[in-house]
Amino acid sequence: MMVSENIRMALRSMASSKMRTFLSLLGIVIGVASVVAIMNLGRSAAVSMSASFDAGGLNTITIRPRGNARETMVFTEDFSYTLQNEIEGIAEVLPLVSSSAIVRYRGEIAEGVGVQGVTSDYFASNSLEVEDGRFFTAMDNLSRRQVAVIGSELASDLFPAGNAVGSYISVMRNQARSFEVVGVLAEHDTSQGSSFDDVLFMPYNTYTERFRRTDQVGTYNIKTEDGYDAVAIADNIENYLDTLIGSDYYRLFSPATMKAMSDEITGTFTTFLAAIAAISLAVGGIGIMNIMLVSVSERTGEIGIRKALGAAPSVIRMQFLSESVVVSASGGLLGLVLGCVISVIGAHISGWVPSLSLGAITVAVAFPIFIGIFFGWYPAAKAARLQPMEALQRD
Amino acid sequence: MKKVIELENVTRLYRMGDESVYALRDVSLFVAEGSFTSIMGPSGSGKSTIMSIIGCLDVPTSGRVLIDGEDTSGMNENQLAYVRNRKIGFVFQHFSLLPKLSALENVEVPLLYAGVNPRERRKRAEAMLERVGLSDRMKHRPNELSGGQKQRVAIARALINNPAMILADEPTGALDSSTGHEVMDLFHSLNEEGSTIVFVTHDRSLASECSRIISIRDGRIEDDGF
Repeated sequence: MMVSENIRMALRSMASSKMRTFLSLLGIVIGVASVVAIMNLGRSAAVSMSASFDAGGLNTITIRPRGNARETMVFTEDFSYTLQNEIEGIAEVLPLVSSSAIVRYRGEIAEGVGVQGVTSDYFASNSLEVEDGRFFTAMDNLSRRQVAVIGSELASDLFPAGNAVGSYISVMRNQARSFEVVGVLAEHDTSQGSSFDDVLFMPYNTYTERFRRTDQVGTYNIKTEDGYDAVAIADNIENYLDTLIGSDYYRLFSPATMKAMSDEITGTFTTFLAAIAAISLAVGGIGIMNIMLVSVSERTGEIGIRKALGAAPSVIRMQFLSESVVVSASGGLLGLVLGCVISVIGAHISGWVPSLSLGAITVAVAFPIFIGIFFGWYPAAKAARLQPMEALQRD
Repeated sequence: MKKVIELENVTRLYRMGDESVYALRDVSLFVAEGSFTSIMGPSGSGKSTIMSIIGCLDVPTSGRVLIDGEDTSGMNENQLAYVRNRKIGFVFQHFSLLPKLSALENVEVPLLYAGVNPRERRKRAEAMLERVGLSDRMKHRPNELSGGQKQRVAIARALINNPAMILADEPTGALDSSTGHEVMDLFHSLNEEGSTIVFVTHDRSLASECSRIISIRDGRIEDDGF
């Protein structure tokens, strides 16, 4: 007999006692809905967090000396080259020093301006562009020239009338020094992390030897080479530094590493919650088994008639097994819909992007079918075993 | 003469707790093709057991049962189901229709188990209901039909697979006398068209309408009607 006949019979039998069927598949509905909602939300959370790490640049790693790092005498400008030589897969290491200062041009004063000493590669590495003038060059750096490239916001604060390039500004920290503005940056898209619009850049050597004497790099901005695993490189750098000076003198930030950790935590958490929710699926299965047992004993007469008319035991078993699978699978579909609704609402409340986990669909479809077979087996076998004569007499 | 049913030394023993009760003791009989036979006896005589055994709903404790020439002893459940489906058309006292199915669908059930495709099933069931005079009741459910109509549906269902015999258990027992007569008339005309009919009844006047009466009492044949 064809599967479609069995499904048709099952739907018919479900329709004839709607309320009872609905109540008995409620367990499956709730179970599947919670598993689906948790898996979808888990995915949403992971996707949203990944996006925030992506913004930080997954191919970047930063190292900052801390504490009494100066006494290790490691974090010099030359250490950039050391790192690049020691660790495989590093495309570039750019040293950066920074502090804040008061900047003045005639009557206009800007306080708390971020001042950064960088090498000339820094601009290209951060995809910065000049709106006016030029970046400073390696030559400017070598000859420690007092030149500055300023962010667009700072430029409009100091030069309301424009014409910043070529003007001399005074940068004050302990004492005032005069810098020639050689370039103004184009406005930068700040959605990608830090803003460059209110910053003053000067050549690295000018900073460390003229502006604020120091022999220690403030930050190493590292970019990994394409095709290399940033997480592995971050680990290698950490191992290298830990052997060299121990872990107390520096801090390392790697968006890729944080992303990997966050993915792992979200994944574990989601699996854990889904497993708890899956318990309710098993409880739902018991509901299915219960209703099937009731159905078999209620329909003893029907089974007797069907057997008298020539239904083999296997045919009766298939009929009841199909029924329990159809009941349980419809519970699964209802649960899938409900779970998706819940997860969309949940994602909306949390400000995450709603997403559909492929695993959730698999669970919603495969699990109820499995439960229908597993918990329907005994009642169906019981129906198949009924002696036709006894079944007829009980009618 | 072809024998549609043959029982050879059939004994059926029921165990009730520690006690054994003989429902049938060493019963031998045969029924010829095309005959109209009744198996008659009071309640508790073993006639229901005989019906179950002839209908392959039950198996004897010992002895042989041949249906349409085929030995059913030692058959498994699937083989017995096949015999019930192809060789035997049951008509029960309380109709035994499936309440959620229409008259037409009820008649189709044996064809479903015979593996006939839906289209063919519908066609044959419609023709059969027409033959028992119910062409205007095909879509009705059993609870929308009178007792006589229900029994006609049951008879149509019994005939649908061209069985070797119709096995009817008190088929008029739940009907009033005039409806009962109509149903009996239907059996007679089916018999005239060639169907073998076996009646199980406790009603002597009904049994007397048959061409042969097998009387049974206390699990033994009292009179084999020859």
